Amino acid sequence: CSLPPFDLFLSRPDEEQGGHADQKTSPARTSHKKHLPPIPKNAVPITKPASVGTPSHLANGTHASYGPFYLEYSLMAEFTLVIKQKLPGIYVQPSYKSALMWFGVIFIRHGLYQDGVFKFTVYIPDNYPDGECPKLVFDTPVFHPLVDPVSGELDVKRAFTKWRRNHNHIWQVLMYARTVFYKINTAEPLNPEAAVLYEKDGQLFKSKVVDGVKLCNSHLFDQPKVDDPFAISFSPWNPAVHDEAKERMFTFKRRPEEHHKGAQVSGLSWVKPGSTQPFSKVDSPQS
Amino acid sequence: MSWLSRLNPRGPGSRSNRSAAPSSPCTADPETCLMVFENHWRQVSWVLEQRDTSSFSDDLTAVRNNTDQMLCLLAEERPAESADSGSCGAPIGPILELVITENILERLVQWHVRRGLDPDSQGALLKLFEMLIGQSQQPLLQHTAVLHPLLRLLGACADPELGCPPALENSLVLLLNQVCVSMARQPVVLEMLFHAAPAQQGSTNLLIFSLLVPFIHRDGAIGQQARDALLLVMAASASHEAVARYIAENSYFCPVLATGLSALYSSLPRKIEVRGDDWHALRREDWMGVSSLVLFMNSLEFCNAVVQVVHPVVRSQLLDYLHNGFLVPVMGPALHKSSVDEMIASTAYLDLFLRSITETSLLRTFLRFILLHCHDNDTILDTLLTRISSNSRLCMVSLSLFRTLLSLNCEDVMLQLILRFLLPCTHVMLSQRRAIRETDMYGKSANKFLSLIPECCRLNAAASAERDEDNPFWSKVFETFIVIKTIEKSVNISTPPRHSTPSRLSFFMRQQSGGGGSGGGGTSTSTNVDLLQSGPSGSHPLSPDSPKHQTHTEAFDWDAGYLEYLKDARRDIELCSWACRDWSAPYDGENPSPNTSPPPPAPPSSNPSVTLFPEHFSFQREGNSNTPPNQQREEAAASLSSEQQEEEEEQRSSALDQKLTDVRGDGSVMGVCSPARPLNQPASQPYTGPFMVVLFAKLENMLQNSLYVNILLTGIVAQLACYPQPLLRSFLLNTNMVFQPSVKSLIQVLGSVKNRIEAFAASHEDFPSMLRKAQQYLVARGKLDWADSPAAVPPLRRSDSLIKSRKPSLGDLILRHTNSPTRARHAAQLAFAHVRDGGQSLHSALFRGGSAGTSSLEKQAEALRVKNAVYSAVIFCEFLKELAALAQEHAVTLPFPQNQEAEE
Repeated sequence: CSLPPFDLFLSRPDEEQGGHADQKTSPARTSHKKHLPPIPKNAVPITKPASVGTPSHLANGTHASYGPFYLEYSLMAEFTLVIKQKLPGIYVQPSYKSALMWFGVIFIRHGLYQDGVFKFTVYIPDNYPDGECPKLVFDTPVFHPLVDPVSGELDVKRAFTKWRRNHNHIWQVLMYARTVFYKINTAEPLNPEAAVLYEKDGQLFKSKVVDGVKLCNSHLFDQPKVDDPFAISFSPWNPAVHDEAKERMFTFKRRPEEHHKGAQVSGLSWVKPGSTQPFSKVDSPQS
Repeated sequence: MSWLSRLNPRGPGSRSNRSAAPSSPCTADPETCLMVFENHWRQVSWVLEQRDTSSFSDDLTAVRNNTDQMLCLLAEERPAESADSGSCGAPIGPILELVITENILERLVQWHVRRGLDPDSQGALLKLFEMLIGQSQQPLLQHTAVLHPLLRLLGACADPELGCPPALENSLVLLLNQVCVSMARQPVVLEMLFHAAPAQQGSTNLLIFSLLVPFIHRDGAIGQQARDALLLVMAASASHEAVARYIAENSYFCPVLATGLSALYSSLPRKIEVRGDDWHALRREDWMGVSSLVLFMNSLEFCNAVVQVVHPVVRSQLLDYLHNGFLVPVMGPALHKSSVDEMIASTAYLDLFLRSITETSLLRTFLRFILLHCHDNDTILDTLLTRISSNSRLCMVSLSLFRTLLSLNCEDVMLQLILRFLLPCTHVMLSQRRAIRETDMYGKSANKFLSLIPECCRLNAAASAERDEDNPFWSKVFETFIVIKTIEKSVNISTPPRHSTPSRLSFFMRQQSGGGGSGGGGTSTSTNVDLLQSGPSGSHPLSPDSPKHQTHTEAFDWDAGYLEYLKDARRDIELCSWACRDWSAPYDGENPSPNTSPPPPAPPSSNPSVTLFPEHFSFQREGNSNTPPNQQREEAAASLSSEQQEEEEEQRSSALDQKLTDVRGDGSVMGVCSPARPLNQPASQPYTGPFMVVLFAKLENMLQNSLYVNILLTGIVAQLACYPQPLLRSFLLNTNMVFQPSVKSLIQVLGSVKNRIEAFAASHEDFPSMLRKAQQYLVARGKLDWADSPAAVPPLRRSDSLIKSRKPSLGDLILRHTNSPTRARHAAQLAFAHVRDGGQSLHSALFRGGSAGTSSLEKQAEALRVKNAVYSAVIFCEFLKELAALAQEHAVTLPFPQNQEAEE
């Protein structure tokens, strides 16, 4: 199915600054969804293998039916954490077909990989959060010591030798994926050639990286490889489509779904910040 | 501003066919009209010029007839259409010009006054002026030739000797109302009234205003007109500092308004006629028939409206008077009456008032009174708290009041009720403090809550699944799930889920779900813009139709509706965190810092009398450290009038008491109840505050509570569990948290309830069938209510959004039908029909315990005990699902950013 373009402000220089981070993450999703046509009625979502989250009978084995809720909510909670982290230059979007697959894109703003726009997919093990750490695979193998030159998989495991629930979260994987482009590590590489070049011939490494970035960016507007309505796709800037979307992103204010305009009464507080006494705020004549 | 917009349309046009207006002789030609007018004036002026003051009635009649005609002509005259209108104001018609140059009206009024104004002429003049001002086609009041005679006439009405006879009050108020309406249209008139008057009238320079004030609290149309008129003055004062100062400094407006409320309150019924065992709050239907309450509510509504429009100077004075002249001297003692009936009434009134107020600053005044004012060493809040532990209707009314308080999402309220006790984090083991901020990422807490659903209640559900084979659990789940999914994609599939299983929500949520019968899934907002704001909710990652779901089909009918709970939890948490976004601190265990926050008040020391009379619990707090000094001063100032008032009330109420206790047995104060708080507890022990303690004690006692108490009670705990502040959230919902031994956790309380239910079930062979019948009864009742349109929202509120933001919580809805006796009867009949299938009908055994003939008092008591226990088991299971859903939803909720800029 052909998807409308998805814009991510390719050229905004100030994006690195944290100020707009809040508007960046969620509205990015937002605009995507706004332009998304209704799912064709016959698009039957493909599900993960049946083993997904098949709940081991819990506690006294009677409320196993809640198992799917738990997995689903755990992943939603992870996604919520990602949004809260406001990771600079990283955007993710769970797939329509499976919550265990997230599409993402990372923008590199400076350093060797500057101007790189790398799409990737995160695969979360189906026994999450008790399994191994999630996999992160770049759509186009990036020339990097820690990225497998064939599969495009990033070596995440070295950072998360053991995935510990409550301590490890998916946003950390994403953060790690960003870090590797700024702080290059060549120990035990998945791409020995890149590692050796980096150590031995910085110039050549650099030019290979630049070539790789160029190659990657030249395929930016390709259709996504996966046929998924929530896959990330780019298109050239089209003011007719994007200006309005951008405007909405910047003016966007999240409200409760059932919020009614003009509800003034919310947010009652007369506590002076720093005080724990009720009515400690000086009574302003306005309220 | 709806008051004003309601007032403004009442212009000249709408009143054209009043009988008071004499028919006009001519409307056509301005020149003819002027001639006719001059003709009349000649005749009048001839009479006026008679030196002889003791004129005959012939003169009077002549003057009056001619004046009628003249003023009609003046009122009908249209402003001249001359082109040279540029300089000042609209061009005036020739008649008006004549009136001004000859000073006709002034001479007329002077003549009347000089010859002694009899009520008849006074009334006639009032009517004439009212007609003139109300119907005039051109602005009149900015001409001193009109304004001054008007003020002279009104001055006569204010004259202590002459005064205004009662028969003329209607005319007077109507005239004043007209003046205020035109004043609201032309602010310059206010200025003129204000400045022109002193020369004429001496001290009271805003005469119109002082004349209106006495009518503020009047019943009927005249009171309404006076209030409307005053409100216009108030609105005008907002931009006129001088007027505002005058009102505040030289008028009795604020004291009259506030003390008037006191007077009206004292005439309210001392006892509320109760119509059913589930009644717990005053709804509009309840009070519309009680004239004294209608009167009070009108005045309260007026106060609210005044606060909304008036200048801040007047507002703060009014609020002070309301606090010191109404709340402290009247509400305070009323809430502390000793008879249960009076406590019920005053609590229900206070609840109603709080629900009716829309203005933030007025609400603040009420809340400050409740939280900080001390009556007999107890804050009002503490007094109200103790009432929860009673087992009478008083408990329900009090719970209802607290539900209202919680629904305000007010930081100050939450601080006093709970947060200040949790702030020091002493209730948590030191090692656990960092867990305060954790959410239920992996559903562990949710799982824990669900695991407490007693085995005996699950068996029942498995059995009932067979009945419902056409509607297996997962197909229902799909429906809802698909709805959620499709909403995201703006595809509207309408699949109203059926409520065949007694999900607590499905009985209660009717009103909130808004769409009447569909009750949930299908009615959510489906505009795509809204969805975008739902954050992670847009990402229900698991597809509903995945085969793995289907493997569980059919076996879990009992937990149908869990998605409804999730959906509701999401909405409620979102609304709550939206409402709390401007709080001063996140209350996350670090901010405010546990170390700097003052130690919370220690639990009250034990007091033997307290256990006997729980209604009279009082906290022995030394010193009122919470009361700011200026308030203490205020209290001292107010104490005099307070004492008088109290004495009066005391006399009246004791007589009433006597009567009531004679008539009804339930006027007694005694009640079996669990202690409101652990007694004999060393003060150094961590203490989570009286509110939590009393709620938990009540909750632990669920089996003994009536169905309605349990609905309210669980509703309140669920309401608390919606709050996003980590301190509160972790206290209620984090089941992994380890608390200090002296602190009881919600999960402990629930565990104990579970054990009790299981023990009860084990001792009653027919528990499964009773449980099923209780469920069926509740479903039938819920459906019936559900089908009814949710039209009866308290209409006192002016803004819909406010209703929403202070929605009645869950329990309200099931209880609502009491207000309509017929509906209640239908509900009962339907339920009986539904339930009376087996020989051993639960309801013939339980509901009509007396009708069995042989049943003794003991049997009835036992039947009641069984009934309560069975119903509590149903509510308990639903409550656990609700809590589990809340725990899960908290993990996926995004906080709202603070509200930096002013809202639209």
